[in-house]
Amino acid sequence: MSMHLEEPEISSAVAGLELKPVAEEHLAACLSCRQRVASMRELIDAQRLRFEAEAPDWERQRQEVLLRLPSVLTAGLERRRWWTRPLLAVAAVLVAAIGLKALWMPPPSSDPMAGLELPVEQILAEVDAMLADDSIPGFELIDPGLDDAIFENGAS
Amino acid sequence: MDPSRSDLSQGDDALVMRAANGDREAFGELTNRHQRRVWMVCRQYVGVDEADAAAQDSLVKAFTRIGDFDRRAAFSTWLTRIAINTCLDELRRRRRAAPVVDEPEDGDGVGVLAQVPDGQAGPEARSMQRQAVASLEAGEKALPPRQREIFRLRFYAEMDLEEIAEALEVHVGTVKTQLHRAVHRLREELGAYR
Ligand SMILES: [Zn+2]
Repeated sequence: MSMHLEEPEISSAVAGLELKPVAEEHLAACLSCRQRVASMRELIDAQRLRFEAEAPDWERQRQEVLLRLPSVLTAGLERRRWWTRPLLAVAAVLVAAIGLKALWMPPPSSDPMAGLELPVEQILAEVDAMLADDSIPGFELIDPGLDDAIFENGAS
Repeated sequence: MDPSRSDLSQGDDALVMRAANGDREAFGELTNRHQRRVWMVCRQYVGVDEADAAAQDSLVKAFTRIGDFDRRAAFSTWLTRIAINTCLDELRRRRRAAPVVDEPEDGDGVGVLAQVPDGQAGPEARSMQRQAVASLEAGEKALPPRQREIFRLRFYAEMDLEEIAEALEVHVGTVKTQLHRAVHRLREELGAYR
């Protein structure tokens, strides 16, 4: 059997870093070197277990996190309102265009509604639906002040 | 490291999409999956007394920013980065409130870790292992901040090397080098205990 591993090689093995093939072979064959690695790992594991024993009740923590979300969601809804303005602007332009068209191109028919090709009611209904739907994709959620809101809302 | 990690990460994707649409239940499940890691990371940075609050802040912050998650890293890595930044902000806040005299050894901004509170190793520790654990803890505190940070993320938060590199935004080679130095130095410190 080759010489035992040097300290830097034992450290590599403890850290789970790659070893040279010859060192790897030695480690596989040498109980003494494996014990040097294992005892250090056991020590680190013992420390980790100590930390784990301090852990909070996970379900309680999860519930507390969830309780803090609604106010954030409210903030989220408020943040989304900025995009209602462009949508309302689009709706206004559409309605104005319809009105102009009605003014400049009066329908030949005697029916006053016959030439009104754009379904105004439908457009407005769709705009209303979009305003009500927060899940419409493509709108960035931007609110630089939100962090402050979170920390005001909870612990820091 | 963990063979189920890629499965978990795939499962995260669907939950992340739902959570991004405001689905609190989906975020609750993401919390359930990752809160242990988040807490352990916070435990390493801000100490046991503040770890719960910091972990909660991190999770709430993640929910509000979930639309920014771009899937370049795993969700768990992204979340860990938020947890680390939340803790560093908290430590900076503490430092402003009560300035620390000694300067960080690295001078690279991670020296705030030097303020991590003591654990509870206890002077009455009698067993060899308890003394060894106390020596390990003392040895960790003597490490340069970046080495200590990487050592703790690797062994206590059980992150793999690539994850640590992504979370700290450093090269994986740096993580390997610092981790090796940390372990080597700790072994020297521990002497007979190891
Ligand atoms: Zn050997």
